[in-house]
Amino acid sequence: ENSPAPLPERAIYGFALFLGSWFGFILYLIWAYIPETWLFSLGLTYWPQKYWAVALPVYLLVAVGIGYILLFGINMMSTAPLNSTHTITDNYAKKQQQKTFQEEAIPALRDIPISEVNRMFFLPEK
Amino acid sequence: MAEERRFRSACGAPIALRRRQHSASCRELAVRGPRLQLRSLSAATSAVWLAAYGLFALSENSVVLSAAIFISLIGLIIYLHFIKIDQESLLVIGSLGIQVTSSYASGKESTTFIEMGQVKDVVINEAIHMQKVIYYLCILLQDPEDPQGVSEVVPLFQSSKPRLDCLIEVYKSCQEILEQRKTAPQSS
Repeated sequence: ENSPAPLPERAIYGFALFLGSWFGFILYLIWAYIPETWLFSLGLTYWPQKYWAVALPVYLLVAVGIGYILLFGINMMSTAPLNSTHTITDNYAKKQQQKTFQEEAIPALRDIPISEVNRMFFLPEK
Repeated sequence: MAEERRFRSACGAPIALRRRQHSASCRELAVRGPRLQLRSLSAATSAVWLAAYGLFALSENSVVLSAAIFISLIGLIIYLHFIKIDQESLLVIGSLGIQVTSSYASGKESTTFIEMGQVKDVVINEAIHMQKVIYYLCILLQDPEDPQGVSEVVPLFQSSKPRLDCLIEVYKSCQEILEQRKTAPQSS
C-alpha cells in the first residue's frame, strides 16, 4: 500500500499545491511592487511592511549559505577525536556474544578486535 | 645498534625514523621531523613587517612598527617552545613500560610513562582527521574491570604523523617486545 506509484489523490494534491504556489507568488509580487496608496484605495490596509519583501529572501539566502558552513562544522564536531575509544569499538561490539565454532560452516559474523586485525595485516606469517 | 631510515609524513614532509636496540627487551624508536627552515622563518617575518609598515604608512603611528617587532619576537618564541616538535620518541622496555617523549625546538622535553600493566596493546588504527583518513599508532590501555575492554587510547607521533610504511616498522618493533611478556609471565 506504500508504493510511490502515481495515484489520483496524489495528482489532486500536486495540482492544488501548484495552484497554491502560483497564487502565493502572484500575491508576493503584488505586495512587493504595487504602491501602498493604490492598495489602500482598494481597501486592503493590513499588509506587512514592504521592508520584508526584500528582507525575507535575503534572510533565506544567507541562511542557505550559512547552512553549508554549519553542516560542515557539525560534521567536524561529531567526528570522534583520535584518542577516543569510539574509533576502535562501540556498544554493539562490546556486547556481542561469542558463537560456538562449527566445523564445515561459515564462521558467524562478528566484530574482530583491532589487535587481531593488526596482527593479520602487519605481521607476516612465517 | 642504531639505524636510521627516511620516510614521509602524512602531509609529505620528510621525516627520519631511528631505531636503537639497547638490549633484548628494550628498544627506542625516534621520529624526527624537519627542522625550522630559514626561508619560512624569513618569509613569515617579512610578511608581518611589511603589513606593519603598510599600517604605519596609513596611520603615521610608529607604535605599529615596534608592536610588529615585539609580536614577531614573541610569536617566534612561543612557536619554538610550544608548537614546533622536533623529535618524538618511543622507548619500550619489556617488563617495565613505555615512555613517550616529545622534544620541542626550544629544547623543552615533555615525557609520559605508561607502565606495562596498563598497556593492552600497541596497534595501528585508522581514523578520520581533518577531512582525511590517516593511519596512526596508538597504545591501548587496559580496562581494569574488563580484561577484553579498552579504557583509553593514547595516540603516538601526533605532530610528525608518519605514513603507513614507517608505522609498520615501529609496530613490528613494538610487537617483538610486547610478545615477550606473554611468553614469560612472571609478575601478576
